[in-house]
Amino acid sequence: MENNQAKQMLSKLQMLDFSIYETVLYLDAYPHDSEALAYYHKLLDERKVLLAEYERTVGPVTICGNVSEDRWDWIGRPWPWEYDAN
Amino acid sequence: MWSYEKKLQYPVKIKNPNPKLAQIIISQLGGPDGELAASMRYLHQRYAMPYKEITGILTDVGTEELAHLEMIAAILYQLTRNLNEEQIKDSGFDTYFVDHTAGIYPIAASGVPFDMKYVGIKGDILADLHEDMAAEQKARVTYDNILRLTDDPDVRDPIKYLREREIVHYQRFCDGLRIAQDHMDSRNFYACNPAFDRGCGKTCK
Repeated sequence: MENNQAKQMLSKLQMLDFSIYETVLYLDAYPHDSEALAYYHKLLDERKVLLAEYERTVGPVTICGNVSEDRWDWIGRPWPWEYDAN
Repeated sequence: MWSYEKKLQYPVKIKNPNPKLAQIIISQLGGPDGELAASMRYLHQRYAMPYKEITGILTDVGTEELAHLEMIAAILYQLTRNLNEEQIKDSGFDTYFVDHTAGIYPIAASGVPFDMKYVGIKGDILADLHEDMAAEQKARVTYDNILRLTDDPDVRDPIKYLREREIVHYQRFCDGLRIAQDHMDSRNFYACNPAFDRGCGKTCK
């Protein structure tokens, strides 16, 4: 996977996750808003696809996302606070 | 970033409230060897750690400590539920109650609020890893002391679980020290600091 492609995918995931977080905070305050709930589900569907692709081609995002069965990738990529990871 | 999981790492189900015991166990929330100090220690040490295996251990143990912080808070919450004024006065819980009611506030059993002075972050691999190994042993002793002071099986069960985790974490930090030393110059481990000096050690990144 090209480093540029990986960064683009990461950027998309960050944007998507931010949208989900904003929606979650709103839903915490307004749990009966059906429009917000539908939007939450639409975002979740997008995230499922993007996360699966990211973890398959780039690396795990959580400790449960190590796709490879013969290699521990969790510690392999730069940590998120490193210059090269951003 | 982090995301929250709405479950405890290990169940906490305490039948009988006991505010006096809560005032002892609260030391594992905000005391010198408590879970808040542990999580802050590892999650902030990891930035200066040049070896990925140990950065991983610090990240994942530090995250588990946050789960332990929640378990201790759950124990305190259940030990201080449904109290009346008389129970509060008779148990000696009144000195906590006057400032925090039944809220969960990180302090030591002595009443001293949580302090980052409990946490050592030296930016030196050997110093930090030895700090971590000592911290796990000290937390293990605190849990041993708590077990000396209560015979309530509902409390002892999650405390014993937490005590066991201290031992496992200690072992992982010992592994980390061995991994770090494998990267360093065995003729003089102190020749340079791989967390600061570029090109220090055998295979510093």
